Amino acid sequence: MKKVIVLLLLAVTGYYLVISFMDLGKYGPVVETGVKDFYLEKTVSELHVANTITSIIVNFRGFDTLGEVTVLFLAATALGGILYKRRHDVGERSVLFPSSSIVKSGSKLLFPAIILLGAYVFIHGHLSPGGGFQGGAIIATGFLLMLLAYDNFSVSHNVLSFIESFAGIFFVLFGLAGMMMGGTFLENFMPVGKLNDLFSGGIIPIIYILVGFKVAAELTGLIYTVLHEKEN
Amino acid sequence: MSLFEIIGGFFLVLGSIFLFLGGLGIFRMPDVYNRLQAGTKATTLGAMSVIFGVGIIQLENDWTWIVKAMVILIFIAFSNPISSHALARAMYKGKTYPFIKSKDKDMDAYKEYIDNQKMEEE
Repeated sequence: MKKVIVLLLLAVTGYYLVISFMDLGKYGPVVETGVKDFYLEKTVSELHVANTITSIIVNFRGFDTLGEVTVLFLAATALGGILYKRRHDVGERSVLFPSSSIVKSGSKLLFPAIILLGAYVFIHGHLSPGGGFQGGAIIATGFLLMLLAYDNFSVSHNVLSFIESFAGIFFVLFGLAGMMMGGTFLENFMPVGKLNDLFSGGIIPIIYILVGFKVAAELTGLIYTVLHEKEN
Repeated sequence: MSLFEIIGGFFLVLGSIFLFLGGLGIFRMPDVYNRLQAGTKATTLGAMSVIFGVGIIQLENDWTWIVKAMVILIFIAFSNPISSHALARAMYKGKTYPFIKSKDKDMDAYKEYIDNQKMEEE
């Protein structure tokens, strides 16, 4: 009986999938007047942002980025939930062998530089290549270095989840503020400034800084969960 | 061709030679320790020379490049030796012994050194 129901459900789903794929139409020649000219022109003239990719990711398709950040958050949470049950007999140590003193003092020296580089990458996301996701990943590698070098280095999960939720809430709040001021979600409502200035592009740098904090906190929490599961 | 371009070009060529030798060493050396030596010591100098050369060439137009290049140089001077040290140490702890072209296959000079030190301490 169960199998018949499953087959019926699959048949119905397949039928509707085929119908909806039929409606898509054929792949034709490339349309000449695409959306690219709109993006290229509006990025410089209206938003005053030097990096077109950033303006597409954060402004024109900002809602999509909110979805991406949510997917990353869900993946991190799910991985934490799975590993927490499986690996809670590993103990407190994160590495098998204690690192040598060269690695310890060296990573202590390099850690601030790596954090600074990550912050630079996401603060200048609207001017140069890089952005929130890349900067956050660089910061997480700094924490990975410290976790590998020191077997008693610990990161507070409460602080991480506070930063994560703070950044997420402010992302949504900026979007709603754009809705109130301009009419659409994530509409730019702040002064755009001069092209190639650090303070330019309206809400784009602010949103990218928030994304950077969120990604850094998420990836750090992920690495910490994988390496350093506490016994309880 | 200005003086800055000539000096910077010299550093670029020097760095390229060292990077090439490092790559060749990774390809030709027999075991992991020799490959680490070729792949980190030679490429440290190669990368440093290339970045320094770029800073020198740009000195004519913009002096900020040489400052940035210096910061990168300091970073490479720290990170590259530390990472190669960590790799070699992990290899040694993982009991990967060096390639020795003699009959005494179990020769381990570093272990003898550590044992001697322990004996002296006792």
